Amino acid sequence: MHIDLAGIPIISIVVFLPLAGALLIAFVPRRFERAVKALALLTALAAWVVSLVILVAYLPSIGGFQFGETADWIPAFGIQYKVGVDGLSVALVVLTTTLTWISILASFGPIKERVKEFMISFLILEVGMLGVFVALDLFLFYIFWEVVLVPMYLIIGIWGGANRIYATMKFVLYTLVGSLLMLLAILATAYTYQLATGSWTGAFDFFALKAHGFDATLQGFAFFAFFLAFAIKVPMFPFHTWLPDAHVQAPTAGSVILAGVLLKLGGYGFIRFAIPLYPDAAVSFAPLIIVLSIIAILYGAIVALRQPDLKKLVAYSSVSHMGFVTLGIFASVLIPVGVAGREQGMQGAILQMISHGLITGALFLLVGVIYERTHDRAIAKMGGLGAPVPVYAAILGFFVFASVGLPGLSGFVGEFLVLVGSWAYNPWVAVASTFCMIFAAAYLLWMLQRVAFGPVSEFLKGLGHHLTDITPVEILTLAPLGALVVVLGLFPGLILGLVDGSVRDVLAAVHGATTAGILR
Amino acid sequence: MTWTDFPIIAPLVAALLVAVAIIGVDMIAPGRSRPAIAVALVGLGIVAIAIVWTDQLVRTGQASGVAFGGAYTVDPLATYLDLVFVAIVALTVLFGPDYLGARDLPVAEYAAVLVFAMSGAMLIAGSSDLLVLFVALELMVLPGYLLAGFAKHDALSTEGAIKYFLLGSFSSAILLFGLAYIWGITGTTRIDGVAAALASAHGVSPALALGMALLTTGVAFKLAAVPFHYWTPDAYQGSPTPVTGFLSVGPKVGAIAIVLRLFVEALGPVHVDWMPVLAVLAVLTMTLGNLVAVSQTNVKRMLAYSSIAHTGYILVGFAVYANDPSGEGLTAVLFYAVAYAFMNLGAFAVVAALQKRPGVTSQLDTFAGLGRREPLLGLLMTLFLLSLTGIPPTAGFFAKALIILSAVQAGAPILGLAVVLNAIVAAFYYLRVVVYMYMREPQGEPAAVSHGALLRVGLAIAAAMTILIGLLPGPLIDAATTAARSLLPV
Repeated sequence: MHIDLAGIPIISIVVFLPLAGALLIAFVPRRFERAVKALALLTALAAWVVSLVILVAYLPSIGGFQFGETADWIPAFGIQYKVGVDGLSVALVVLTTTLTWISILASFGPIKERVKEFMISFLILEVGMLGVFVALDLFLFYIFWEVVLVPMYLIIGIWGGANRIYATMKFVLYTLVGSLLMLLAILATAYTYQLATGSWTGAFDFFALKAHGFDATLQGFAFFAFFLAFAIKVPMFPFHTWLPDAHVQAPTAGSVILAGVLLKLGGYGFIRFAIPLYPDAAVSFAPLIIVLSIIAILYGAIVALRQPDLKKLVAYSSVSHMGFVTLGIFASVLIPVGVAGREQGMQGAILQMISHGLITGALFLLVGVIYERTHDRAIAKMGGLGAPVPVYAAILGFFVFASVGLPGLSGFVGEFLVLVGSWAYNPWVAVASTFCMIFAAAYLLWMLQRVAFGPVSEFLKGLGHHLTDITPVEILTLAPLGALVVVLGLFPGLILGLVDGSVRDVLAAVHGATTAGILR
Repeated sequence: MTWTDFPIIAPLVAALLVAVAIIGVDMIAPGRSRPAIAVALVGLGIVAIAIVWTDQLVRTGQASGVAFGGAYTVDPLATYLDLVFVAIVALTVLFGPDYLGARDLPVAEYAAVLVFAMSGAMLIAGSSDLLVLFVALELMVLPGYLLAGFAKHDALSTEGAIKYFLLGSFSSAILLFGLAYIWGITGTTRIDGVAAALASAHGVSPALALGMALLTTGVAFKLAAVPFHYWTPDAYQGSPTPVTGFLSVGPKVGAIAIVLRLFVEALGPVHVDWMPVLAVLAVLTMTLGNLVAVSQTNVKRMLAYSSIAHTGYILVGFAVYANDPSGEGLTAVLFYAVAYAFMNLGAFAVVAALQKRPGVTSQLDTFAGLGRREPLLGLLMTLFLLSLTGIPPTAGFFAKALIILSAVQAGAPILGLAVVLNAIVAAFYYLRVVVYMYMREPQGEPAAVSHGALLRVGLAIAAAMTILIGLLPGPLIDAATTAARSLLPV
């Protein structure tokens, strides 16, 4: 099936549709709460449908960037409104639109105050996230990157838990440190290009900059700034400390988007911008990043093991799982051309990003479901959930196994490919990472055992009939995620075929890695 | 003066007539604010038209652009700055009546004094003679002293005004002393003459260095640059809030005009020797301004210190001009001035609106729960604060981006880094206000106040410009570039 979208600015439509919805909601009087909710959900669903159209219409056989749109924005500096999608972008755009409508639906119950503001914030957040994944002008990319910040700041700060103000300020300040340095790097890159070519035309254009190539000094400096911005977002050890606070304090929908999409902005930034623009610096930084990734995988897992709070446990599991993403990306960077496994690491990283978005999104939703009923998240107070709420416990079990990396589910394929890639780079790295996977199994399964099995705890007994099983609406939010986890687990080729071209394009820019650079 | 001078000075004449007309209306209908405000706003519109008309005449060659035998010049820079001053005063006039009316302070005098200050600032922008420059400066700042002490029964206002007056006069004297040195060395007070004399001389003589040091000190006082900023927080906190908004913007842009005319134009040939001083001043100013702002619990005082920090960012634009005479730094300064004017006036207007009921302080607590109590006001304040922080897509973001870019272009990315690091510190205290507005519960939930139509219009304009410049900065960048080019040696 092929859909011809010639002449339709389909990308602008999907990016700005949520903004239109948000503006519309702004004019709905506060008292029509149901109308506000319905409008928000409809907008998010519409954006989702448009993104599916893009998914179907995108032709991996042709590859490259499609549905491009270009318009001059600030001609004095050659800044353009330039958007387009390749396979990687398409995959992440669909992930974003999917998680957004799910999150909006999931917050109908929990969000009781200032619903209108919440929905507007959420839709603007979607604009920023989608914009980041489609922008092909560095300046535009930066703008969308920052647009994400404000709504998330409000979502955590207004609708968050008891310690929300501390958490949200920490989130904003951490992110700003990275992003403002990135702005400096973007401007330095553009100016270097302008100096070399004598014109601002194309100075912020991704393709022009990628084709241009930069000297070692600029690459080193700029890559470092980009690295900081993305590493904070991913988050990589030791820049992760904002994450547990933000996750624990954020409302459920905020946590879902935070884990599901926001963390992916970092991984996407590495693959799309940092590596192709500064390939030589990427090669020199890669060993350090790989070491940090392994520390993150191990550290996240060990800390998760010790968490008394369900949400914090899932948050630390994100640190651990995202470690595989950066490991896969930079293992690929270091594997020389022609060596088997070169593409696998990055492909696995992308699959892991998608899969982590689905699984962790679902786990946060599940934590939210139980919190709605118990107003508590302490693992110690739970126990024997399988008896009073069997359906819930079963779904929780499914996603916990998916997160552990059970073969046949999506989590397995991503981690497996990353291991293949890191083995090709250095078997010891692969061995170390595999060890860490055992920890992942330990903390998740132990959590499941304490929460779902055993005798029903006194705390849960005390809740009596308040402890109801999962509702159909809640199942509706989880079902698509579960289905995708299974489908991608059984047919990972769906994603791999889509992103294969992107991975090859990125790695084609990296040619500095020689066999000598590899630790064997 | 001859009749051919008239088209050139028409905007100035118009401005003075407007001020006189406001006083006249106040005499006919004493104590009534509406006629005075109407005259002021219509008059400012006429002044703006006159500025554009004069600019057209000069551009098309129908008028020479020079008046008073070369002491006053209209060039694209003067036009640009004049329009900025008109916009600043018009917004300040719009923001005044609500606050002043509630305190029985005279609105007509407020408007007239503001227009006088504006005519002084306009004269600075077009002055091409050092003496005119100095007289113009005094004409701009004297109304400022009056305004600072406008609430004459308020001890804080009087204290602030006296501090402002004493330090202001002191710094004017220092500046004049410096001007005398320049005159003594070059033998002329004409700005182009000074530039020509310095260009033919070699290096910086001790006398010239002393003169430049005095001038720098004087201007730094006017700009409120560290370490000459001590008067600002008290003067700002004590003044009636709409006046504070004006003082933080109007005289500052006026001081920028002085730097452009005096240092970039007259002392242009020796700017390489002077600008490193500015680089140090810039970093000191932004860093100290921001660090002290962090510890403020009074929003007005916080904004006062933050305005010091913004002076620091603006100084970066001047500092990099030394290494990069292509003028990108000056473009960035001119762009910053406009963005800063709208967002800062807007922020002060929100504070003023909250303080409409006498006795309401500008403590952070006043803002608690504002997002719920007055959603629109909270939203606007958030917009202005985000713009001041430099979050896209707002005017403040592009202003910072241009400053950083000009630093990078001049081969001084370290100055860009200083701006970046400072912006992060600033984010903390700006966003803290947002925290109070949206994330804290109000204490005692005071009832919402009704706001006047003028205030609403003014806020709408400030907000619209903050967003518009953020979304489509192109035209303003072009205008600022044209204005900056008129200063550069051909």
